[in-house]
Amino acid sequence: MKKLLSFVLITLFVVSSFAFKVIMVTDVGGLGDKSFNDGAWAGVLMAERLLPNVEKKIIVSNEQTDYIPNLAQAAKEGDVVIGVGFMMADAIYNIATQYPDVFFIGIDIDPSPDQVIPKNLALYSFSEHEAGFLGGYVAASVTNSGILGFVGGQDLPPVKRYEIGYRAGVEAYNQLHDANVKVIVGYTGTFEEPAKGKQMTLSQYGSGADIVFACAGATGNGVIDAAKETGMSFYNLPANAPLEQVIDKYFEEGKGYFAIGVDVDQDYMAPGYVLLSITKKIDIATYEGISNAQSPRYFQSGHKLMGIADDGVGISPMKYTKGLVSNEILAELAYLQKLAKEGRIDIPSTEAELATLDVSYIEFPF
Amino acid sequence: MTWIQAIFTALASPLFYKLTILSALPLVFAGIGGVFSEITGVTNIALEGIMKLGGFVAAVFIFYTGNPWIGLLMGMIGGLVLAFLHAYVSIEWSANQIVSATALILIAQGTVGFLMKPIFGQEGQTDFLTKIPMIKIEPLKKVPFIGEIFGELSAFFYIAIGVIIFSWFLLYKTPLGLRMRAVGENPQAADTLGVNVKGIRYFGVLMSGVLAALGGMYIAIGDIGQFQELMPAGKGFIALAAMILGNWNPVGTMWAALLFGAADAMNIQLQTLMELPSETKALLNLLPFVLTIVVVGGFIGKTRAPAASGVPYEKE
Repeated sequence: MKKLLSFVLITLFVVSSFAFKVIMVTDVGGLGDKSFNDGAWAGVLMAERLLPNVEKKIIVSNEQTDYIPNLAQAAKEGDVVIGVGFMMADAIYNIATQYPDVFFIGIDIDPSPDQVIPKNLALYSFSEHEAGFLGGYVAASVTNSGILGFVGGQDLPPVKRYEIGYRAGVEAYNQLHDANVKVIVGYTGTFEEPAKGKQMTLSQYGSGADIVFACAGATGNGVIDAAKETGMSFYNLPANAPLEQVIDKYFEEGKGYFAIGVDVDQDYMAPGYVLLSITKKIDIATYEGISNAQSPRYFQSGHKLMGIADDGVGISPMKYTKGLVSNEILAELAYLQKLAKEGRIDIPSTEAELATLDVSYIEFPF
Repeated sequence: MTWIQAIFTALASPLFYKLTILSALPLVFAGIGGVFSEITGVTNIALEGIMKLGGFVAAVFIFYTGNPWIGLLMGMIGGLVLAFLHAYVSIEWSANQIVSATALILIAQGTVGFLMKPIFGQEGQTDFLTKIPMIKIEPLKKVPFIGEIFGELSAFFYIAIGVIIFSWFLLYKTPLGLRMRAVGENPQAADTLGVNVKGIRYFGVLMSGVLAALGGMYIAIGDIGQFQELMPAGKGFIALAAMILGNWNPVGTMWAALLFGAADAMNIQLQTLMELPSETKALLNLLPFVLTIVVVGGFIGKTRAPAASGVPYEKE
């Protein structure tokens, strides 16, 4: 009996000391942003479910000045610290150097060219332009007016990459289909003011755009609301009209007003009024980081760029609006995705690359 | 398109005026709320906090009942309660009104932050909620230009018109208004003449609570149909600027709010009409704030605050 008890106790002790503590530090805004904080947390939950002995904790940053104290506190308690958000870059470099025995994972953080990435820090960022490219291509095929819109938040590198990719997708469509679709680009300068996103969208609709990409965090919710409000008024439908009615009206009128969601699948926020969402798989990146850190030998420090090739970015399955896109375009989209996976198209990520984009070498096999 | 062309194209489009109204609405409500409080001699820099709480309470009740009008009513009561706290400590206890109002902003932030998760099940923001309906006037909609501006606006627009007319009439055409202004200028004199200084000040502050809550509710359930924790993102402070620029007068405040709204609308329209490098767009986004500083700085000597604003009154 005594032996059994001591065995159980020892086992418990050993197991508990093996518990692997994952602490996530959110960016300003915390959970509920339906964007990267939520996405990263979903990755942590996935790790808890699929990996042995993972214990999770979250620390919310209320202001940018919280980054350093929060990361330091997390480093004292945890085995793996996850920092989320582009703005946290400097803080995570700083703290990772101070706590060399703790693994750090930076989500949505680009390496800065003049800093050496510490051995215990893995950075994940995304090829947003590749996702934007696919979204822009589809949007260009759906637009009736030949004008698309883009509403950005602050002009940060990930947002800019979305913009360039989106415009590149439109340009590729123009070249391959001999079309002349234009893009109106606006930046609200904030991720927190949906009213401003809404007004900018109304303004772009007013100038002829009929599909607007909401690339602005919470500000983007205003874009989706503007699409719904303008669409409803145009179709003359009430707010609670069922999806079938919305789609029927679209075909009856031959045109409509749409938003494009960002980061996660936001199609459900206004079914029938969100054409598609341009997504990046933050959860997958977070999960991969945690899973690598569990066996220190496999932990890969440095920077990992997640693109179409590793299913890190893409577009939503268009659950409600797939019928609006022609089969021909869906087939072309699948082919472009395949080409991108095989690295056979160079999707531009800067203005200069965009200016010289030439996709005339692409020939569809059908 | 050159700058001059773009500015004129923007000014000639009805959309510019519609966007101006949309941006100005929350400032009109909150700014006139500020007028009511300050004209009776109690400064109220807590507009930001009251707006936040008003929008939140309205969202909560819409979330549970699905009826936006119940949300509107409860939001107004929420604003009233928060303003009552401010009124009580500043009138009964002669507390420093700036400190009290700052505390109020923090209370609103804390309460909302704490209650988001238990009530809506998520932090940061709610899902889309039923909005206060838009009012569509079909015959007006057919009129060119005017129809595009006024044809379809939120019910809050008509509430705002009502508030402007009501508050102008109340303050300048009724005995109560005269007493309110007297209390704000010289409470001793008013008291000597038998005016109930405390009562009038309570009325002013409570009115400001209701109106600021309306401003917050417009942002949350009139414009977008969603409450976010970071709302109203500084609009409460810009409303104070509108109040000062409007010379503590409801109609003046409305014009000031429209001016700030026009700056916002111009920024947005220029970005849409012109192809600009992103640095210029970032600068354009500062336009409303730059205008606030320039205008308030330029007018500060020309407007005059009620003499007893911010001074607690104690009976001798």
